[in-house]
Amino acid sequence: MKVLATYSIKGGVGKTTTAVNLAYEAAVTGARVLLWDLDAQGAATYFMRVKPSVKGGADRLVSPAGSLEANIRATDHQAVHIVPADFSLRHLDLKLDDAKRSTHRLSELLEPIADRYDLTLIDCAPGITLASEAVFNAADALIVPTIPTPLSERTLYQLVGFLAKDPDAPKLLAFASMLDRRKKLQRDLVTHLLDDIPGFLQTAIPSTSLIEKMGTERAPVAVYAPTSSSASAFRHLWAEIATLIRI
Amino acid sequence: MSSATFLALGHERRAREILTGLGYVFAPSQTKSVLLLDTFDGRLQRAGLRLQATTAKSVELTLSGRDTAPAYIEVNAVPRVADDLPTGPFGRRVSALIGIRALLPLLEVRADLTRGVLRDGEGKVIAIAELRESLHVVYPQGMPNIGNPAATMEIHVVPGYAQHAERSRAALRAAGLEECESDTFMVCATAAGIDPAGFTSSATVPLDLAMTAIDGFRLVLTNLADTVAANWRGTIDHIDPEFLHDFRVAVRRTRTVLANAQQVLPDMILGRVREEFEWLMDLTSAPRDLDVYLLEWAAYTTPLGSDMVSLLEPARDLLTHRRIDVQAQLADGLSSARATELMNSWQTWLTEPLDTGDIPARAHRPLGRVLAKRVTRAHDLLLARGRLITPDTPAEQVHDLRKHAKRLRYLLECFGSLLPKDARKQYVRRLKVLQDNLGEHQDAEVHIQMLRAVANELHEAGASANTMLAIGHLAERLDQQRVAARLEFAERFASYDSPATHGALDAMLNGIRR
Repeated sequence: MKVLATYSIKGGVGKTTTAVNLAYEAAVTGARVLLWDLDAQGAATYFMRVKPSVKGGADRLVSPAGSLEANIRATDHQAVHIVPADFSLRHLDLKLDDAKRSTHRLSELLEPIADRYDLTLIDCAPGITLASEAVFNAADALIVPTIPTPLSERTLYQLVGFLAKDPDAPKLLAFASMLDRRKKLQRDLVTHLLDDIPGFLQTAIPSTSLIEKMGTERAPVAVYAPTSSSASAFRHLWAEIATLIRI
Repeated sequence: MSSATFLALGHERRAREILTGLGYVFAPSQTKSVLLLDTFDGRLQRAGLRLQATTAKSVELTLSGRDTAPAYIEVNAVPRVADDLPTGPFGRRVSALIGIRALLPLLEVRADLTRGVLRDGEGKVIAIAELRESLHVVYPQGMPNIGNPAATMEIHVVPGYAQHAERSRAALRAAGLEECESDTFMVCATAAGIDPAGFTSSATVPLDLAMTAIDGFRLVLTNLADTVAANWRGTIDHIDPEFLHDFRVAVRRTRTVLANAQQVLPDMILGRVREEFEWLMDLTSAPRDLDVYLLEWAAYTTPLGSDMVSLLEPARDLLTHRRIDVQAQLADGLSSARATELMNSWQTWLTEPLDTGDIPARAHRPLGRVLAKRVTRAHDLLLARGRLITPDTPAEQVHDLRKHAKRLRYLLECFGSLLPKDARKQYVRRLKVLQDNLGEHQDAEVHIQMLRAVANELHEAGASANTMLAIGHLAERLDQQRVAARLEFAERFASYDSPATHGALDAMLNGIRR
């Protein structure tokens, strides 16, 4: 089983839409996918029409008795299962801090289900915290949506610098998110990032009203607009990632 | 996704009304065919998996199992071999299990499917119902249509929402619908007499030490005859290389058992049948040698580099064409009156009551004692012949030694249930080390000879100098393997011809020498 995490230090960059759409695209290509919503806001859970609830909350989940298995639910999309979010995940850092081997706890939770799925996609909360470090430990690669703006670019470089210190860090797969091709500044920034950041992906996800519509449709873009350029962009993004992580 | 299946014949409307009352919304019905795919020996089933191809407007493959989440993928056509499978995790999982075996259609069921879903307040599907009407078996053709069930209602549990399916299930049960132990597909498979477990070409049959030798030998030979017969059609049709492999191994084992059946089986039977099985064996030799060559081709040529691999393509093409030619001869032979007569009369003799007048006097000795003697003789013969091999011994003699080793191994496999398991494993492990060496030597030897013939033919056909050079490289590589195996032989044989092996033999046979 490969483990990917949609992650960014900065919020509002499209992590959750990326996680939900990549989970769907991976399943369409024959993978068994588990989407793990680790963000207390529960947006991925909301998109999948699942009630945000983890048995016993974050407390129980990170305790030695915790298990993902008990919290797995099917989504309405074939081969995509989800571990929903829970509001108590806002305290995940504190709970992990109390737990033994805190940065390994998420990996340990994934071990028992490793044969049941081909891919786990973790949708993370923004920021660099103890929970992020636990995610870095569990993940084979970080999928980092980056809005081509100076602020987003800055946080991407912060992350690159942080990961560079760890020889066991996951592969970094950043890509341009919410790209507005009409803006020269954004186009130039993408060109720069493609040149400067190793592993920066060729596929960019455009800023479209169809993607924004996920909030009302509560489904991956390909479900309600299968032939749209937005759905196609996520399909290409998955194909590029799948090749790089050899799934 | 686990499910509960109800026989709904005559209750279709009632079942649907009950579920509609619980909040299910049904979509219009659609005619769908579901095809169960597995290898001849049921490799997917043995791994706890089920591969289905559902055909409506497109073909969707589903790979499901009790201990795994299901996977789905849309394909253009129903896959036949691993190369037809899509790239990615789905194809990789199936390929790893089926290897070189073909995926065969085991059962195809067609039905008018009406799907109903139950949703919660969020609009999320929390239970699924599937009503199948006009159920009938499409494949195998000629299979009598299923009278009952001709309609089923399945309630699928959506992981994480089991209680909703359970409520629906209870409602159907309360309405008097009969619940089945398996799903619709398996209910149909059972009704059609299809065993999804597939055919296992195992040589081992349950035997008893107190059994008479003739009864034991006949049981073993009956099992082998069943294996030969089961693989007959697949060998003629060349469905995948394993049919010929299993067919050939069963014939070889039969010949080994017959060679050890003197004073156990009637001489008249032995003489004729041994001769006929030798003929059957000869029919399969050339196709199998070519199969091994083509299966090993990538392993042989890849280390030479991609340029060489391309240059060697004409050689591979020629071997592939030759394989097609010899298949025609094999198919003719197996379809001949001689072959049919052999198998019919052999299977009849094995199953009909014995004519006591023909039976050798010593055929009624205890099976264990006879086996112990035969194994000891085969072991001693292998040692005696092996000790004669020197670095200068002709390859043919080394090949003969390989045959002796194989015969001994077959004897242990066919009568394996009589021998203590751990002791047999210990002995076979030692024998296998020697066999692997002899096999490497023989494969290289045969393939060099084949390559020479291919080189001559390609040269006459005007193949490029570069291709001829590449063949030279490949021949050299094979020769290196042959020489390496030959150099290693002395050490491998010395390890076999040792007190440890003699001890393992005694441990294996002590219990049956009564």
